[in-house]
Amino acid sequence: MTTKPWFSNLKCRECGRLYEKEAIHICEFDFGPLEAAYDYEAIRAVLTRKLIESRPQTMWRYRELLPIDGEPTVGTQVGFTPLVKADRLAKALGIRELWIKNDSVNYPTLSFKDRVVSVALSRARELGFKVVACASTGNLANSVAANAANAGLKSYVLIPSNLEQGKVLGSLVYGTNVIGIKGPYDQVNRLCSEIAGKYGWGFVNVNLRPYYAEGSKTMGFEIAEQLGWKLPRHTVVCMASGSLLTKLHKAYKEFIDLDIVPKSDFSIHGAQASGCSPISTAFKAGTEIVKPVQNPDTIAKSLAIGTPADGYYAIRSMKETGGSCEDCTDEEIVEGIKLLAETTGIFAETAGGVTVACARKLIASGKIPKDESAVLCITGHGLKTQEAIVGKVGEPRVIGPSLREFEALVADEVGAKS
Amino acid sequence: METTRLWLMYPAKLITRPIVYELGHKFAVTTNVRQASVTNEIGLVCLELIGERGEIKRSIAWLEELGVKVEPVEINTIEG
Repeated sequence: MTTKPWFSNLKCRECGRLYEKEAIHICEFDFGPLEAAYDYEAIRAVLTRKLIESRPQTMWRYRELLPIDGEPTVGTQVGFTPLVKADRLAKALGIRELWIKNDSVNYPTLSFKDRVVSVALSRARELGFKVVACASTGNLANSVAANAANAGLKSYVLIPSNLEQGKVLGSLVYGTNVIGIKGPYDQVNRLCSEIAGKYGWGFVNVNLRPYYAEGSKTMGFEIAEQLGWKLPRHTVVCMASGSLLTKLHKAYKEFIDLDIVPKSDFSIHGAQASGCSPISTAFKAGTEIVKPVQNPDTIAKSLAIGTPADGYYAIRSMKETGGSCEDCTDEEIVEGIKLLAETTGIFAETAGGVTVACARKLIASGKIPKDESAVLCITGHGLKTQEAIVGKVGEPRVIGPSLREFEALVADEVGAKS
Repeated sequence: METTRLWLMYPAKLITRPIVYELGHKFAVTTNVRQASVTNEIGLVCLELIGERGEIKRSIAWLEELGVKVEPVEINTIEG
């Protein structure tokens, strides 16, 4: 493998100390998180819009800005999901222009997690890992299982033992080793960190986290490219750990710094479910200290992280970009899912309902001005969380096999030919 | 001997109590504060604990009994 010169080091986000590009994720001095650092001068010398446009339509068309040494080997088809202009939803929310970045059709497991996993597993291979693992409640587990299966890597997926059957099946089908762990999240977390330390596996969200997290940037790169090489004025994104929001911020800044897009004002807004809103609560209180939520209680389970690792950094990103933060109830989440589906034809999981519901509030309150433009990031497909809307989207009307009955049913709805 | 790195989160009612000092006297563990932030509302302490595995486990159980939230530094292992 020829090592390319772009990805240079891991770097502590707190103190800036540099580390070798290994499977580590925490600074030994202050325990700050490590993230990928690049030689931007070397990248500037090669990366142009023209070069990007000449490449296949996947997230790897921005590979100079991703933390691997060679060529990607896992998830080579991931990304470049549609950016859809949503005029009917814009009208419903009362904003001039609205776009949906639709990662609910990401390949292969219908969520944005395919982006982060393909980077983490490509890097895991470069580092020589034979076994990869993750701890997850759904989307991440599905993506690790599927991408590991395709790459021929052995995988372990650790889940809370009381997880819904549908999500368990969505990982088991790929032949991964699913291990249910009894006990509350705190204890599951602790066990996972012990396993990662002891077994030497590539844990995508523990020791491979610096690589994993960078995959999220590609959503931001794609948005900018698909808007015609410019940044959106407003971006709304849901937050669990807050990582995706911070990486969109990094992606936009990198494109400006590399002169890929012209410098322009952009604001990134965060969305959480009220049943688990540690970041939103801190933001609204005007503090950067994120108080943990002991018992998350929301239908948006993929966002139910009580101790968000990147909460502090997400707040800083929102503040720095002039963004803001909202949260919404379970009822508003379901309304958000329905509104998105009925106006755009996109069926989002509960996290997408959170994004739409919070965008509605941000627009109504003027935090996103009505005469401006916004992109809503939809991160996962609704088929994954169908139980959230069962009984809330109506029932089919049943009739006998009779034209008369059918005509009686629809008489007031359509103009029937007589 | 093992080394464990933990984030401790104190609720307001425990902020004035010298918990790390007490921990070091009650259990056979070496405590090393690596980072801390204390406000009127919450205390966050990043603590390295060095000792036998059993002593570390007992230390964590004692902290939790007091009402301190204890997380490994690798928090947020679980994701969506």
